[in-house]
Amino acid sequence: METIRLYLHSMRMLIRSQMQYPASFFMQTLAQLVMEGGEMMAVILLVDRFERLNRWEAGDLFFFFGLMSVTFYLTECFGRGITGNFPHLIRTGQLDTFLIRPRGTLTQVLCSAVDPRRITCIAVGIAALVMGCNMSHVLWTVPKVFLMAEAIACGFFLLLGLFTIEGIFCIYAVKSVELVNALTYGGRSACEYPVDTYPRPLRALFTVLVPFALTMQQPGSVILDKPLFDWPAWTAFVSPLSGVALFGLIWLWFRKTMQYYRSAGS
Amino acid sequence: MSYIHVKDLEKRFIVREKRKKGAFFREKKMINALQDVSFDIEHGELLGYIGPNGAGKSTTVKILSGILTPDGGEVTVGGLVPWKERKEHVRRIGVVFGQRTQLWWDVPVRDSYDLLKDIYRIPGEEYTARLKELTEALQLDELLRTPLRQLSLGQRMRAELCGSLLHRPELLFLDEPTIGLDAVSKLALRDFLKWENSRYGTTILLTTHDMEDIVALCSRVMVLGHGRKLFDGTLHDLLGRYDTVRTVTVRYEEADAWPELPDNAPAVCDGENLVITYSPAEYPTAEMIARLQGAGTIRELTVQPRNIDRLVADMYREMDL
Amino acid sequence: MKAYLSAFRMRRRLEVQYRGAVLGGIICQMFFGLVLIAVYKALYAGKPQSMPFSHIASYVWLQQAFFRMLLASDPDLLDKIRTGSIAYDLCRPLNLYGFYYVRIVAQKLTGSLMRGVPMLVFALILPEGWGLSMPASPAGLCLGLAGLMLGLLCVSALENITMGFTMRTLDSRGMQGLLNLLMMTFSGNILPLTLFPDSWQHVITLLPYAQLLDTPIRLYTGEALPAEAPRMLLIQLCWTLLLTALGILFWQRNQRRIEIQGG
Repeated sequence: METIRLYLHSMRMLIRSQMQYPASFFMQTLAQLVMEGGEMMAVILLVDRFERLNRWEAGDLFFFFGLMSVTFYLTECFGRGITGNFPHLIRTGQLDTFLIRPRGTLTQVLCSAVDPRRITCIAVGIAALVMGCNMSHVLWTVPKVFLMAEAIACGFFLLLGLFTIEGIFCIYAVKSVELVNALTYGGRSACEYPVDTYPRPLRALFTVLVPFALTMQQPGSVILDKPLFDWPAWTAFVSPLSGVALFGLIWLWFRKTMQYYRSAGS
Repeated sequence: MSYIHVKDLEKRFIVREKRKKGAFFREKKMINALQDVSFDIEHGELLGYIGPNGAGKSTTVKILSGILTPDGGEVTVGGLVPWKERKEHVRRIGVVFGQRTQLWWDVPVRDSYDLLKDIYRIPGEEYTARLKELTEALQLDELLRTPLRQLSLGQRMRAELCGSLLHRPELLFLDEPTIGLDAVSKLALRDFLKWENSRYGTTILLTTHDMEDIVALCSRVMVLGHGRKLFDGTLHDLLGRYDTVRTVTVRYEEADAWPELPDNAPAVCDGENLVITYSPAEYPTAEMIARLQGAGTIRELTVQPRNIDRLVADMYREMDL
Repeated sequence: MKAYLSAFRMRRRLEVQYRGAVLGGIICQMFFGLVLIAVYKALYAGKPQSMPFSHIASYVWLQQAFFRMLLASDPDLLDKIRTGSIAYDLCRPLNLYGFYYVRIVAQKLTGSLMRGVPMLVFALILPEGWGLSMPASPAGLCLGLAGLMLGLLCVSALENITMGFTMRTLDSRGMQGLLNLLMMTFSGNILPLTLFPDSWQHVITLLPYAQLLDTPIRLYTGEALPAEAPRMLLIQLCWTLLLTALGILFWQRNQRRIEIQGG
């Protein structure tokens, strides 16, 4: 509870300081809109030309795209401390500042940044979700609403975990941080479409190793009443937890790695 | 057991060398940043920590403040192991890095403090009282409404210091706090540190390159070089060991007065002044002055130890740093 | 002339330094390529199109390989402008437009050669339907290469205009971001332009964004026959000349403004 208060306090302050440069903020927010709008246009154009992707129809595709967009950009917005600045914090030794304070590292890193510019991307994602639900005639029930929220929340943690790997690489002084982008940005691009689109190795990657399919697409497909995997319905409530579990493991790895942290700049 | 206890501290860093021509991977090299460093510090001590760049000063401070994990040795601060019981430990310490800010760049200083209040869970009344006390002592009242980025370096350092003392730490680490400050700011900062130390018995560990800081503040000095402790004792002892040369400048009423001096104390004329260098170990200062007085009527006389920075440089050279 | 050459060489050395980052970038880019091809393959399976799928696969790989040419980002230079150390460059006895033009071309060329060549080799050995196909004809290959060079000059001219804008407004992130995004969308990186609705393609392929990669790729795959090449290359040439002229004009006016500010 107290941690949440600290988080809100930090957010208020960060947003206030970003608003000191309103013109730049506005311009960048607009650029974000163009970016995500372009991505969505690509899906619309594909649907226009091909009509369907295997058993998934237009509405389903918009739904999956929206689900990924909303989750990814919520992470980029509220998890900015990790998705954006983490390698920088470690490389420059600014992480020191967090380590000398009596709070958890994760709490402080998350409190250290927010990216409200992403609001336009999230809006595009929501528009895609609404469009998808309408076209696929989704009948909303209480469990489905819960599933949706669970999928987004667990996806948030899954993505945070993946971005954390960049930080871990930085501590080991590995230069190929771009490699992780294949999982984060690559994962987003790939899992805008249901994983059964892909050949077996890719499907396995995004189901087992980096479980976007279990975390977001299985619950998503159950909401559409077209389960991605042929499993009992209740499993859709359990499978998203894999994302949180992966985050937990990666965070433990990070804490273990911290003993090699060098605090550059001395 | 003493308040800070350090025994056989060791820390190694792996340094990747520049890629050799043709090799795909770079070679790794181990560097001992700290080796067999042991010391004890009691409550309320004001200790200076000196050594050339790269000697391991910052590494020690970072281990003591729980940022780095050492590769060997024991460390306890007030009974806690910093890197293992980090959160409990850092609640009781304050750290100021001279070249890195801990406050938020774009917001007024006061807002940063308010957030620190939440981070350290400082009760409201205590916070108000402490903030009032610190802003008075550090003359910060007028700066509280200003964003940090608009402050001058000296003002910023005072603001940082206030931020790191809000939670009443019993131990304060200062890493080159006076770097880049003007004379007035330096003096004010030193006065404040003395005041904080005597008023609350705060233990202060100071790393610096500015010997004036040490002279003004520290009763005890540690010298570090190549990751090893080379000296630990009072400043007086340290200077006594290396302060082997003194200069005396004398001006006589008579134009032609010339004292008789031993061979190992050469004299040089500098206008009306006579400048003599001698070693007090071979030739006690009292005797030197008596001899100078014998030669005529003295108008002015000054005895100077060597410039302290040069002294430290000589010391480092002698210790082969 | 020598000064421009050394600017080019300096840029190249900088790019070569970060081998680890380049390797990571290559793997990431190849991954993107595989994912995209898998999606298009699945879509094609449902509703085949008149264009053979191998063209799409080649399109994707060539786009990924030369991805670096698209991105308008020279953080170094942007920092220079923000911090004001651009003043040093302003003092040099050089034509500023030319100086930066060379820098941009050098960055795009070295960046994409280092990444592109290994990727294309990888793409060539991939199994049928996944990899890069051989060019439609020797003429197609030559015309494609010529188109790529012209496209590079054209896009660098476009980017240099944005650079000029940055000098004027100091805050570049918005402008730069916007250009990057338009580039990604209308160059065919997000979605091959050949998959855009046919009516749109008439217009989009005329835009400067399409000149960099879309035109040479079409020539390479044989989507555009060598007979169409003169028309396409002419469009490229026109854009290059137009954008360069605009850029020179813009920078001249800029420079005058900066000098006034300095005085």
